[in-house]
Amino acid sequence: MKTMKRRGRDMAGDTAPLAMLRSRSRDRFLMQAFLVAMGAWWLFPLYTALRGSIQAGGLSNYTDLLTKPVAGVWLPRTFVNSLVIAALHAGIVISVSAAAGFAFSRLRFTGREALYNMVLICLAVPATAIIVPVYYITGTLGLFDSPLAVAFPEAALTLPFGVLLLRNFADGLPESWFEAAEIDRAGTFRVFWHIYLPQVRTPMINLGILCVMWSMQDFVFPSLVIRQPSGTTASQAVETIQGAFAGSTPLQTSEYYAALVLLAVPAVVLVTVGLRWISRGLTAGGTKE
Amino acid sequence: MTSPSQLAQAAERPVRAVRPRSGRRSPRHRRHGLIALLFLFPLLLFYGTYYIYSFVFLARVSRQQVSLSFVDAVDVGWQNFRLVATDTLFQHAVINNLIFAAVSIAAALTIGFVAAMMLATGVRLHRTLYVILLLPSLIPLSLFATIFGKMLGTQYGAFNGLLRGVGLSGLQQDWLGQSNTAYAAVAVLLIYLIGLPIMYYRSDIESVNLSLVEAAVLDGAGTWRVFRSLLFPLLRNTHKTVVLSVLLGSFRAFDVIFFSTNGAPSGQTSITGTYIYNKTLAGTTVGYASAAALLLLLIAFVISAVQLVLMRRESR
Repeated sequence: MKTMKRRGRDMAGDTAPLAMLRSRSRDRFLMQAFLVAMGAWWLFPLYTALRGSIQAGGLSNYTDLLTKPVAGVWLPRTFVNSLVIAALHAGIVISVSAAAGFAFSRLRFTGREALYNMVLICLAVPATAIIVPVYYITGTLGLFDSPLAVAFPEAALTLPFGVLLLRNFADGLPESWFEAAEIDRAGTFRVFWHIYLPQVRTPMINLGILCVMWSMQDFVFPSLVIRQPSGTTASQAVETIQGAFAGSTPLQTSEYYAALVLLAVPAVVLVTVGLRWISRGLTAGGTKE
Repeated sequence: MTSPSQLAQAAERPVRAVRPRSGRRSPRHRRHGLIALLFLFPLLLFYGTYYIYSFVFLARVSRQQVSLSFVDAVDVGWQNFRLVATDTLFQHAVINNLIFAAVSIAAALTIGFVAAMMLATGVRLHRTLYVILLLPSLIPLSLFATIFGKMLGTQYGAFNGLLRGVGLSGLQQDWLGQSNTAYAAVAVLLIYLIGLPIMYYRSDIESVNLSLVEAAVLDGAGTWRVFRSLLFPLLRNTHKTVVLSVLLGSFRAFDVIFFSTNGAPSGQTSITGTYIYNKTLAGTTVGYASAAALLLLLIAFVISAVQLVLMRRESR
């Protein structure tokens, strides 16, 4: 829990010995040059996209995209769709993992470790490996075009990790709190609600942020089960709207670039905000010496 | 779904060893069984549907010739498995997965590590540069890979444009036309995506004891030496996290290839993800795709198991 106390915003605060290297002017220059060159190379794709987006048609490409639908897809709408799915995904994973983490960490029952191993063995299951059954299940449940049709399989893939995270965190909690509750003859549900849940808030928040990040990235499930243009998500729109710009006139090319730039904006904003939280909590409660 | 961060966190906290079970079975323990079932019920519901039922479904469909409508299935026995296992493109896809994982790991352990350490020294603009290096990993992969794919264009692509701009027109390529340049292009793309390893290194360097480094720097050890001989071994736990997460992520990766090369030229750069996705949507090859998916699952389970064993050994 060492890192939890360190809430300072200045990230260089704890790396003072490294900062000493800065005082060597030659090394400082070399490191600065290396990083700036790397940064420039990293910005190159962004630069080509931005330049391409205004090469023909100028900034009106952006205003057009924000006001008019493309191939039945209105870009601002895709942001809302992505957010709804991300929120559902995060909500499901947080609540299901919290309950399961409690059971695995605090309750004794036969076959606990065997079951836990079975849960963890699914950590590496790739989305593409289960698209065929997911397509069938979605049809059976009548969920096509519903945000839940995306959030459910996404949650299924994230749950092994969520359970692992919550259980490990809960295993590290001081035994004494739970013993005290036992002496007070508090029921399991009260222990869950009043002792366990407040204590696992940090991993729950981290998990939620990661879920939102993964949802924003996911293309496979939306492309599989969302067929109505109005339900398109931001990452899916990259493909959906491609056809509308297929003419490859300079103007269409520019408009497509503009669309790509626009689609990146919400993810960048959301994630940079989330990043501040997550890098702070990444090692919180860790077992590092 | 990017999974790298999954393992990062997973490996930070080793799985706890099995707790000694209490010998006496009091009624209280028996009661836990029912309550535990209640707490685990939602999890079991998801697992039952999307894993267990899915696997059974895959096993059934993998022996059929059928389309995504799942009607008029023709039973073809084990033929699909035979075809997948002998399809050189599938073998190629599995090998590509491993090659691309190796490239990502190599890039993360070298460029990623060095960049993170340099950022940690707090040179000018280090916060801005940090965000810039993370940027390609933060936006949807489909987006970044699409932009990158467009940069590879023969005539209007940014890479050929850049070469023309600096007077090296002779080096212009039809990047996706030949397999070696296509591989090079994918390697560059993967290097762009080392943001998460940089994040782990940058985040973990703050929680290791740097007193040795301080002494070495005061003794006048060279900067490069400090990086290589002191910091690199100090961050060995992070290296493990990076290697495992990248390996796992590479079998989950799909968008990266699908949106940049989609296997060009002629399936040379395809990976298991794009292979299965394309076969699934190709018409009546859904059974064939299911057989490939089962083989992929087998690989995924092996990776998971190895990782679990490693984590458990570490916590002992």
